Amino acid sequence: MKKIYPFVLLLIVCQLITQAQEAKRIISLVPWVTKSLYLMGEQSRLVGCTSYCPVEASDHIPVVANAMSVNIEKTLTLKPDVVIASSLNKPETIDNLRKLGIKVVLQPYPKSFVEICAYFIQIGELVGQGAKAKDIVDQQKVRLAKLKARVPAGKNPKVFIQIGAKPLFCAVPETFMEDFIQFSGGKNIAEALKLGSVTREYVLKQNPDVIFIVTMGIVAEEEKNTWQSYQALSATKNKKIFILDADKTCSPTPILFVDALEEMIKLMY
Amino acid sequence: MQKKYLHWSLYLAGLIVLLVASVVLSLSVGEMNLGFMDIFSILRKGNGSMEYTILSQIRFPRVLLGIAVGGSLSLSGILLQGVYRNPLVEPYTLGISGGASLGVAVAIVFGLQHLIGSFVLPISGFAGAFLIIFLVYTISSRSGRINIQSMLLSGVMISFIASSLMMLMMATTSSENLHGIIFWIMGSLDEPDMSLIYITLILAFTSLVASYFFVQPLNALRLGEEKARHLGINTDTTIKLLFLLASLLAGVSVAVAGVIGFVGLIIPHLMRLLVGSDYRILLVSSFLSGSIFLVLSDVIARTIISPNELPIGVITGIVGGIVFLLMMGRSSLRTLKNN
Repeated sequence: MKKIYPFVLLLIVCQLITQAQEAKRIISLVPWVTKSLYLMGEQSRLVGCTSYCPVEASDHIPVVANAMSVNIEKTLTLKPDVVIASSLNKPETIDNLRKLGIKVVLQPYPKSFVEICAYFIQIGELVGQGAKAKDIVDQQKVRLAKLKARVPAGKNPKVFIQIGAKPLFCAVPETFMEDFIQFSGGKNIAEALKLGSVTREYVLKQNPDVIFIVTMGIVAEEEKNTWQSYQALSATKNKKIFILDADKTCSPTPILFVDALEEMIKLMY
Repeated sequence: MQKKYLHWSLYLAGLIVLLVASVVLSLSVGEMNLGFMDIFSILRKGNGSMEYTILSQIRFPRVLLGIAVGGSLSLSGILLQGVYRNPLVEPYTLGISGGASLGVAVAIVFGLQHLIGSFVLPISGFAGAFLIIFLVYTISSRSGRINIQSMLLSGVMISFIASSLMMLMMATTSSENLHGIIFWIMGSLDEPDMSLIYITLILAFTSLVASYFFVQPLNALRLGEEKARHLGINTDTTIKLLFLLASLLAGVSVAVAGVIGFVGLIIPHLMRLLVGSDYRILLVSSFLSGSIFLVLSDVIARTIISPNELPIGVITGIVGGIVFLLMMGRSSLRTLKNN
């Protein structure tokens, strides 16, 4: 029995170290990380966010950054345990924060569903909720498997996902948008491209069977009308031009990814 | 005298041939390469095919807008350089592009295009440009007379204020809006609204005709404002009207196609080097070469990294700048040899 004591002691020490490492005060400069914390129910740890983070107004989370710059003084006064930043933040800002003794985690942008899940679990672990995050991911993987099983075999429609108008931007390989197309049994018309800005001519030449427009408001409606005006286009003939909610489709979190995929499969077939 | 007119006719004929050639090139080249004869057979067959859709709904509107905007910017540049007798003046020096960009930035930041429709962007661009023109005009006019030097200075200053205000907008908005503003600033001929294209085209040609009513005053102004007045020219009215005409041309162009730089500066200079300083030939040749330049720049912008597309402002800046420097080098070499 005495032999167990050192083990128990070690476990308690490990637990204490983990708790000490757990970030209790987080500033998120990455909107989808903010969203992930909300999905885990850990929003109470957020002590700062950007002006375009998807937060509930009732949570009164202070804004510390806009699209161009981070207010370092305000960040400092909020005494965060960790600041989660991305490559969109200026390197000077990150260096300055680190010099001031603030821990900064650089969060890369996920390029696939696999990465979305891995990063979600990482964020979970950062706030001491690794198990909860893993549970969420496992549930979504089960949902995904069911969805994939529902996709009719052998159809492979050509798909164009438009993520911007003026200039025209499309979803290209090595992005999680590509996974939407792969998992739904489609074929990306931009599979050979690396850059997303394309000409309208390119889209017409590829003649997609389905078009998804992921932009907001009336601009999306206008884009839909423009595509519908091309009578020779397969998607126009099939009446398969759809507008998707940008917040849902562009937010790389496991739950929203599967939600968006479910909607896309429903619309495609 | 006869020889001069013969030269002018030759230049004019050459430019028209070049314009037709660039239009044909622009209609043929792209994702789907179509031969010259194919174009006619596709148009004859009519609606239904993908080739017809690409020709009629994508390439044709772009060519028309290229002709209108290229001609307008270039004409605006030559008129302003004539009025100010300053080779560095162009439509954008006077804050017209700054005003238009500010107008568009306001519309994007406040989400007006999501609420009302994307046609609100050209309208706000135009409103912004005209607000700036009004300010420049009011500041520089004293008891009915225009002070050209103060007009230029106030134009440059107001332009600075407008660009700072735009930076302010950009600093306080979301990344999506930022993206929208930056791409709008870079300019593009991709405009699906045909009515907007026709308005720009009609305005461009009407203004070209209207500018010919000012050929004599413009030629007289080359001698200086004082001497032009002695020659019986009402310089104040001429300057006011020409300034308004040039602003209208630039304002509409920027509003429809975004900020496409260098056309209004380089083409007039290039034409001066080629055809001389007489406004009788300079106005029309600047208009035509502006159109040719923009139509060709658009061909490059959409084919050079095909199927991706570059902003047209990138091409006009690089190509225009290099061609201009080469021309300058040649003419200074010639001057050296003559000396």
